[in-house]
Amino acid sequence: MIHADITKKEKLSPTVSTLYFHWNADVRPGQFVMVWVPGTGEIPMSLSHIGKEKAFTIKNYGPTSDKLIKLEPGQRIFFRGPYGRPFSDVKRKTLLIGGGSGMASLHPLINRNAFGLIAARTREEILFMNEFESGKVKVTTDDGSYGIKGNVLAGLKDLDVEEFDMIFACGPEIMLYNLYKYLKGKNVRAELSLERLMKCGIGVCDSCSINGFQLCRDGPTFTMDQLLYMNEFGTEKLTFSGTRVNVH
Amino acid sequence: MQLESPLILASGILDENGYTMRRILEEGAAAVVTKSIGSTERPGFTPPVVVDLGENLLNAIGLSNPGIDHFAGEISIAKGIGKPVIGSIFGATAEEFSFLASKMESYGADAIELNLSCPHVKGFGSEVGSDPVLVEEIVTEVKAKVSIPVFAKLTPNVTDIVKIAKAAEKADALVLINTVRAIHIDIYARRPTLSNAYGGLSGPAIKPIGVRAVYDIYSETSKEIIGCGGISNFEDVIEYIMAGARAVEIGTALRTAGRAIFDIIKKDIISYLEAEGIGSIQEIIGAGVKR
Repeated sequence: MIHADITKKEKLSPTVSTLYFHWNADVRPGQFVMVWVPGTGEIPMSLSHIGKEKAFTIKNYGPTSDKLIKLEPGQRIFFRGPYGRPFSDVKRKTLLIGGGSGMASLHPLINRNAFGLIAARTREEILFMNEFESGKVKVTTDDGSYGIKGNVLAGLKDLDVEEFDMIFACGPEIMLYNLYKYLKGKNVRAELSLERLMKCGIGVCDSCSINGFQLCRDGPTFTMDQLLYMNEFGTEKLTFSGTRVNVH
Repeated sequence: MQLESPLILASGILDENGYTMRRILEEGAAAVVTKSIGSTERPGFTPPVVVDLGENLLNAIGLSNPGIDHFAGEISIAKGIGKPVIGSIFGATAEEFSFLASKMESYGADAIELNLSCPHVKGFGSEVGSDPVLVEEIVTEVKAKVSIPVFAKLTPNVTDIVKIAKAAEKADALVLINTVRAIHIDIYARRPTLSNAYGGLSGPAIKPIGVRAVYDIYSETSKEIIGCGGISNFEDVIEYIMAGARAVEIGTALRTAGRAIFDIIKKDIISYLEAEGIGSIQEIIGAGVKR
């Protein structure tokens, strides 16, 4: 396990914070670490900042993230990684589509060539909107508290997706599945970063698998062509015990 | 049971989801052993459930499983390609084991593997598998209940594994060995890394222990043996075969080599046999045992 001290904490909203730390490692956009809170649990976290200073951006959704988000500068974090296949390196025009905290893994890809589509449940869950160049970001919220009311598809309505050289997306599986169906058959290149329950992070436990591919090792980023053959995508997954259930 | 090669996927690695087992069969394994299934759903332990030790691995997943009633679907998905699927089961009593075995048989499993050896869950696995009387009772009852082959997977965490092997002699084959009970402490957190503290060590570090167990039991019994523990290349497979195994199970090595490992090892074995002038792998079973 690697350990580091938190150097800075940035509160992005009442429920989301970014924790910064020094870690001398080569991490690429889309990769993740397994973060351990001793005595509580271990969870996968995308790195939202991958320069000399690393960071992850956390929303509390369970006991481990809840403990993590309460940590302050000077306190110690434990993690292992980096794991997973990163997003491809694309220098030209990109469309970044992030659902909720999925924006964290897209954050390293924000630059002047990037256009953002942020899909959040509500106003206070919108992440990194101001980091895009002005006029190059659209926002949807499920409850209509900001931007366009509706889901990711509402935000895609007046966007010409074919004018981008690459689409990168990250978010809940249902959102990505809707996006996948929308993009299928169009002349686009896209890489979708999936989120599934993960226990080991190193390709042995089978918790995060989708049609025999391990999200933690073969993914979490998959191309449209790879997703085409995955009938479990958007339909079925395994629970913590390994019981097959619907994704919905 | 007929296998296209001696290479089987070991229980506990990438074998919870039917589609994963199917992919591993498609990519070269001769058969797969499922994750161990019990009579009721178990979530298993809270992560950390693994300690990444490079080539070696310490794990305490905690026998997480959906319960036998929810496993029929995974078996039928895995069997879609037509290769053997071996159903691993765990229980506390002979009755529980025989109930699970007949369920597995009804789902279409080609053989049963009795988990008498998981080292990290109270009341199951090696706690059951360290008691020769209970082992004999379990094997006898399961054999009486099902008509498919029954394999007993034994634990190295006992003083005398030969004694347990003799207790399990009604089994069609013995699988040797399961992981070795172990602990890892994180010196910066000042506590065990695994939430369960205790786990099972696998990987190259335990191969000599597995080879010793196969060697001893081959020398002292006439049982058919499936070798398991730390196999990551063709040399390891040949070593187990020469110690007395007829087939082997591979698990932890998938972490470093990926699912392609079965195809790679298969090709390397063929080259080895040709170069050494050996007609078939059967010729060298037990060839390394001192007479």
